[in-house]
Amino acid sequence: MRRSFRSSLALPVLALLIAASCGPSGGAPTGSGDKPYAGTTLRVLAANHPWADALKPLLSDLEAKTGIKVNFEQYGEDQLTQKLTTEFTAGSSDVDAFMQRPLQEAKLFAQSGYYQDLNKYAKDAAKTPADFDLGDFSKASLETEAVGDTLTGMPIVVEAEVLYYRKDLLQSAGISVPKTLDELKSAAAKLTDKGKEQYGFVARGQRSPAVTQFSSFLYSFGGDWFDLKSKKATLDTPEALQAFNFYGDLLKNYGPPGTLNMSFPQASAIFAQGKVAMYTDANSIYQNMLDPTKSQVADKTGIAPFPAGPKGANMYNVTSWGLSMSAKSDKKDATWAFIKWATSKEIVTKTQSTGAVPGARKSVFETTEGKSKFPADWSTAQNASANGRGYDRPLVVQVQKARDIIGTVITTAIEGGNVQGVAKQAQSDFQALLDSEK
Amino acid sequence: MGSVARPAAATPPRRSRAAASAGFIDRNAKWLFPLPALAFVALLMVFPILYTAYNSLTGWDLGTGKPATFIGLGNYATLAGDGRFLAAVGRTFVFTALAVGVEVVLGIAIALLLHREFRGRRLLTSILLLPMMATPVAIAMVWLLMYEPTAGIVNFLLRQAHLPTPLWIAGPDSVIPALVLVDVWEWTPMVVLIALAGLAGLPSDPFEAARVDGASGWQVTRLITLPLLVPTIVVATLLRLIDALKTFDIIYGMTGGGPGFASETLNIFTYQQAFQYFSFGYAASVLIVFFAIVLGVSLLFTSLRRDPARPVDEQRPVVVEQPSGV
Amino acid sequence: MTARRAAPVGRRDLGTIAGRFAYPLAIVLVFVFFLAPFFWMILNSFKTPIEVISLPPKLVFQPTLANYENVFASQQFGRYLVNSLVIGVGSVGLGLVLGVPAAFAIARWDQRRLATGILLARIVPGITFLVPLFIVFRQLRLVDTYASLILAHTLVGLPFIVTVMVPFFNAIPRELEEAARVDGASLLQTLRMVILPISGPGIVTASILAFVFSWNNFMFSVVLATNRTKTLPVAVYNFISYAQIDWGGLMAAAVVITIPVLILALLTQRYIVRGLTAGAVKG
Repeated sequence: MRRSFRSSLALPVLALLIAASCGPSGGAPTGSGDKPYAGTTLRVLAANHPWADALKPLLSDLEAKTGIKVNFEQYGEDQLTQKLTTEFTAGSSDVDAFMQRPLQEAKLFAQSGYYQDLNKYAKDAAKTPADFDLGDFSKASLETEAVGDTLTGMPIVVEAEVLYYRKDLLQSAGISVPKTLDELKSAAAKLTDKGKEQYGFVARGQRSPAVTQFSSFLYSFGGDWFDLKSKKATLDTPEALQAFNFYGDLLKNYGPPGTLNMSFPQASAIFAQGKVAMYTDANSIYQNMLDPTKSQVADKTGIAPFPAGPKGANMYNVTSWGLSMSAKSDKKDATWAFIKWATSKEIVTKTQSTGAVPGARKSVFETTEGKSKFPADWSTAQNASANGRGYDRPLVVQVQKARDIIGTVITTAIEGGNVQGVAKQAQSDFQALLDSEK
Repeated sequence: MGSVARPAAATPPRRSRAAASAGFIDRNAKWLFPLPALAFVALLMVFPILYTAYNSLTGWDLGTGKPATFIGLGNYATLAGDGRFLAAVGRTFVFTALAVGVEVVLGIAIALLLHREFRGRRLLTSILLLPMMATPVAIAMVWLLMYEPTAGIVNFLLRQAHLPTPLWIAGPDSVIPALVLVDVWEWTPMVVLIALAGLAGLPSDPFEAARVDGASGWQVTRLITLPLLVPTIVVATLLRLIDALKTFDIIYGMTGGGPGFASETLNIFTYQQAFQYFSFGYAASVLIVFFAIVLGVSLLFTSLRRDPARPVDEQRPVVVEQPSGV
Repeated sequence: MTARRAAPVGRRDLGTIAGRFAYPLAIVLVFVFFLAPFFWMILNSFKTPIEVISLPPKLVFQPTLANYENVFASQQFGRYLVNSLVIGVGSVGLGLVLGVPAAFAIARWDQRRLATGILLARIVPGITFLVPLFIVFRQLRLVDTYASLILAHTLVGLPFIVTVMVPFFNAIPRELEEAARVDGASLLQTLRMVILPISGPGIVTASILAFVFSWNNFMFSVVLATNRTKTLPVAVYNFISYAQIDWGGLMAAAVVITIPVLILALLTQRYIVRGLTAGAVKG
C-alpha cells in the first residue's frame, strides 16, 4: 500500500518537475567558417501572420547556412503583445527577436528600452555586407521603424488601404468603379437591397480595429488625429466630424447587420460570401477575397485605389509589421544574423511569393517572382498609394488607449448616435492623453 | 469493506527509529499535514497578492513611462471618477444577476423535470455534464460561429420561422443577453446537478403527508419541495455568483468587451488596463477593488446561508471549484 | 398494452393529457439546447471554409478531413495535446500530494481558518497572478518548463481538491480510525491503510475535475506557456490568424480539445456529479 500510494503520485510528480526544469541551454556564438553560429539557439516570438507562416519552413535553410537554430513561437496578435510585455516587464532576456507592429508598439517599447537599436548592426559594414542594401527598403518604412535615432526593427510587411469591389454587381447596375467617396456613397446606395440581403458597403466597425481603416477617410476629408507640432487634438474639427458621420452613415445605411462587431476577419468573410458589393480595408489581406478556396466571389472581385475625398485621396500606406531585436538578448550577433537573413532580398522574395505578403523591399516588387502573387489591379492600387500617409493611427505612445477613445466616436456614428457630443468628449480625453505624453 | 479489518494485523508497530518518527508525526500531524499545502499557497499566492497590493499604490505605467513609485491612494481616487470603470462595475453586476438568475430558475425547473424515473434519465444527466466540462475558449468559438448575424445558424433558423433576428453579440443592446445565454448554456447544468442532489436528499415524510391530504403536483412543488430546497438553492447561487462575477474566457473570446464598450465587464476592463494600456499600477488597483467585490458578495451570501436554526457543523462554508477556475 | 394506456385517460383531466405530451417535449428541448452547439461544432469541422459560411447552412455535404489534417500536421496539435496531458497529470499529482493531507487535517481537526485560507485562491481574480507568477518563475528559472505551468495549474486545482476531499473525510466514521489506533497503528499507518483505501472515490473525483480545470485553463497558459509547453486552449487561438478566421479549422481544433474531456466526463459521470455537488448538499 505504501509503495503504490507514493509511487503512484509523488514520484511521477517529482520526476516531472525535475525533468521539466531542465530547460534548453543556448550555446554561445562559437566556431567560424561555414557555420559561424553552430550550436546557437534563438528564441523568436512571432504573430500568427502569413509572413511568419511563410518564413517558418525556410528556417531550416538558415540552420544549414549559419548553424542558427530558431525556436519560432507564434501567437495571436493580442497574445503576442501580452506575452512580450510580460516577459520584458519581468526583465526577461530569453527573447532574442520578435515581430512587432511599429505604429502600435514602437514608441511604447522604445520608451521602456526594449529595443536594441538596429542602426548599430545595419549600418556597420563589418556586420552587414553591402549586398544587404539598406537603401532598398522604402524610405517611409524605415522612418516608421525609427523612434528618435533608434531603428527599432527591420520592416517586413507594408500595406495600404484599397477598395475591394464586385465587378459583376457594379457592371450590371451600370456603375463605374468609384473614384471619389461621393461616388462610393451613391454606388453603395444603389447596390443595397436589404430585402435580398445585398449590401452596398462593408468595413470594420469594431471599436479599436476600425480606427486604422477609418484613417484614410479622415485624411481624405482633410482631417487628422492631432496637430503634430502643437500636440492639439483635432477630433472635433468640422473635417473630422464630416468623416466620422460619412463612415458611420455608410455602414449604418448600406452595411450588413452586425458591423459593430466586425474586424477584418468578419468583414472580409461577409464579402467573400458575396453579400456585399464594396469593402475598404488593407491590401495585404486581398487573399481573403481573391483566393477561390476562401472566397465565393474570387473571380468577380476587383481592387481599386482608395477613392478621393474632398481633400484628395489620402489613404494610409504603412509598415504594419517589423522584426526587432530585444535589448536584453545575450546573443545579439546571432540574432542580427537571423534578422538580416529574414529580411534579405532572397528571403523577402520567397515570403512575398509563397506567403503573398507585400514586403518593404522595392527591388523585390520588380522581380517576376516578387510580384507573381499580386494581380495587376492590386499593383495599380499599390502604386496609387505610393504617396499615402505613413500612419494609420495616431503617432502617440499610448496607441491602444487612443484607439479606444477614437473608436468610441466611430461606433457611435455607426449606431446613429450623438456623434458631435461623443466627439467632443473624445477630443478632451484624447487631449488629456496627449498632455500626459508631453 | 475488507481493507478495514486488515491494517492493525498487517504491520504491528515496531520499536525503532521509524516508530519514533511516527510518534513525532502523530504528535504534530495537526500542523504537519497541512504544511506543504500552506507553504505552496503562501509561495504562489501571497507574493502575487502583496505585489498587486503594492503596485496599486504606485503610478507604474509603461504608456506614460511612469516608474513604480509610491503615490498613495491616487489610483483609487482616479477609479472613483472613472466613468468607464464604474460602467464596467455596473455591467458586471447586470451580467451576473441575469446569468445567475436565469441559471438558478431554469436549473431548478430542469431538475424538477428530471427528478423522476424515465428511460434515458442517466444519459441525459451525463449530457448535462458536457457543457461545463467543455473548454470555454473552444465553446466561445462555436457560439461565435452560431451567432454570426448573416451566416450564423441561429439567425438562419429565426428567419425561417419569420422571427426577428437580433444582432446578438454585434449589437450594443443585445450583447449582454447574448453572452448571458452562453453562460446559461454552460452553467445551468451545474445548478441542475446540485438541485438533483438536493432533491434526492429530501425527507419523504412531508410528501407522503401531502399526498394523503390530496395536494396537486404543483401544490406539492410550490409548498413543500421548493421550501425544502432553499438551502441547496442558496449554495448553488453562491457558487455561480463567484464565478459569474469573474467570467473571462467567453467574453474575451467572443467580443473582447465590444461592440464599443457594451460588454466590458470588470475582468475585461482589468485585462485592457494591464495588457493593452500597460497601466500596471492602475490595473492593480482595479484588481484589488475587484477582489473586494467578489469577496464581499461571497461573504454576504455565506452569511445568508448561516441559518441560526441549524447546528453549527452543518454550516461549513462550502465552495466548489468549477472548470472556469480563473 | 393498449388497455393499460387507455385506462388512465378516463380518470385524468385534460391537463394531464397535455402534460403527457408536454413532459417528453420539455425533455427533448432540454436535450436539444445542451447538445446543439456540440452538434454544430462537429458538423462544421468537416466542412471547407466556403461551406462553413454558405447559406442556407448545409446539413448534407461532402465531408472533408482537411481541417483535421491541418490541425495535426501544420499546427502540431499532437504536441500540444501531449503538453496539455503532461501538465494536467502533473498538476493533479502535485495537487493530491499537497491537498489530501491538508484536507484530512481540516476534516479531522476542524481547521476552518485553514480551509478558508486555501479557498481564498478561488476568489482572487486570475489576472492578479499573471505578471507576479511570471516573475517568480523567472527567478526560479522555470520559464519554458512544464514545471511552471504545473505549479500554476495546481494553484487552481488545489483548493478544489481540498473542497472535494474534506466532506469525504468527514463522512468516514471516526470509529474506523480509532479502532486502528487502539490496535497500535500510528496516524500515518492509519491514514495509509484505513482512510485512503476507502477514500478512493473521493480521490478519483477530485483528480478528474482538477484535471479538467487544468486542461481548460486559458489565462495562465497564455502567459506562462512557451512554444515547447504551449497547451491546447492557447493553440486554438492559432486559428484566429492575422488574415482570416478559419472556421473549419477552428471547429476541428475545438473538437480535438473538447472531445477528450467530454469522453472523460461521460466515462466518469458518476464521480463527477458527486464531486461537483460535494458539500453543496448534505448526504
